[in-house]
Amino acid sequence: MVSDNQHIDAVHAVLKGIPDPELPCSIVELGLVEEVRVEEDGRVHIVLLPTFSGCPALDMIGKDVQQKVSALDCVSNCIVEWTFEPAWTTDRINEEGRASLARHGVTVPPPGEPFTGPSTTTLRTSAIPCPWCGSTNTRLDSPFGPTRCRTIQYCDDCQNTFEDMKRLAPGGGDD
Amino acid sequence: MTNPMNNLLNDLEAILVLEMADDKLFLGHMQSDWTGLGPILEEDIASSSMAQDDLSHALVLYEYLGNRFGLDPDVIAYEREPGQYLCCDLMTVPDEFNWATSLVRRWLFTHYAAPVLDRLALFEDKELVERARKLRAEEALHVEYLDDWMRRLGSGSDEACDRIQKAIGLLSTHAGMLFELPGRELETDESFCCGRSELFEEWVGNTNGVLEQAGLTMQVELPDMETVGGRSGVHADHFTATHAEMGAVRSADPGAAW
Repeated sequence: MVSDNQHIDAVHAVLKGIPDPELPCSIVELGLVEEVRVEEDGRVHIVLLPTFSGCPALDMIGKDVQQKVSALDCVSNCIVEWTFEPAWTTDRINEEGRASLARHGVTVPPPGEPFTGPSTTTLRTSAIPCPWCGSTNTRLDSPFGPTRCRTIQYCDDCQNTFEDMKRLAPGGGDD
Repeated sequence: MTNPMNNLLNDLEAILVLEMADDKLFLGHMQSDWTGLGPILEEDIASSSMAQDDLSHALVLYEYLGNRFGLDPDVIAYEREPGQYLCCDLMTVPDEFNWATSLVRRWLFTHYAAPVLDRLALFEDKELVERARKLRAEEALHVEYLDDWMRRLGSGSDEACDRIQKAIGLLSTHAGMLFELPGRELETDESFCCGRSELFEEWVGNTNGVLEQAGLTMQVELPDMETVGGRSGVHADHFTATHAEMGAVRSADPGAAW
């Protein structure tokens, strides 16, 4: 009989190998996995956070997780849930994820910079170090990029575009 | 025997959520017409992204209502009678593929959606609050982006100013109806947190702030209680036509999936 911890380790190992279909990262590196819970009968609950509510990859990710975790011998059934609380932000992307994104020309705002107020965007509009040449002579080209979570930026030195992940303040309510 | 749809349509809090979901469903549907036709590439991507946001926001809200009332979100979205849709008819005014009209419509609406989502995020129901907060954070991107376009066009060429001012003239007659109350009893119901006149004042303040920077003008009156429209299920012909078009696949093949 394997312990719950061994169960959880096995599930985490599987999750680490599940890619986001639109980014060069795993869902663990992106910080989408909020909770893994193992029941006594071998059922596994996995709680995931959507990056953006309209991300078309969510269904694919959910099915991928369900199939690959269910295939483990120690798992009798896998239940995937999506939740909006806590809200996903780019602060959840880990070091491996940031390094992998940088290699593919996608920058990520540093974690922990305070949000400027309730319900405001904090899109970066200038001086992001270019992932191709390092110049900070860069500017926002378009706040809407190839996917919901990225802006398009332009480097005036190497004249290449790159993408920057959007760091949104949780909206509404009291904060 | 209780009917889940009737329960939904008679619940004041649910009606507020449904109004927002219906507005976003129809706006997202209308705006999808522009995919591939935006005036420049970045704008095409932005417009399609916003349409995608609006449709997904509608789904997030229909899912909430579906969980609460025991209904399939698609049934709520597609299987009501036209008179049971509570969207404002601003959403379905034909834009005749005039970019200024499309832009002004989205701008008028996002300044309404943002403070309404703020208010939905203050309700007691945790599931609604979480959803409203997520959508509100995304709506902030629309506000910022569309404000920027209004300022750019207002300070642009004479033709740009003229086109955007004409679009404001066309749509401002419909914009007041965003604030229509779906039923007289709501006027004095304090649980109906929106307080329409306060919401209207907030909207006027925010839109006027941008218009002043842009050198544009707009006159919108808060409609009196006798004026009924989309929020009461009394819709213009352009709503009926759009509703029929939007539901065509589902009515031709109710089980269709892709």
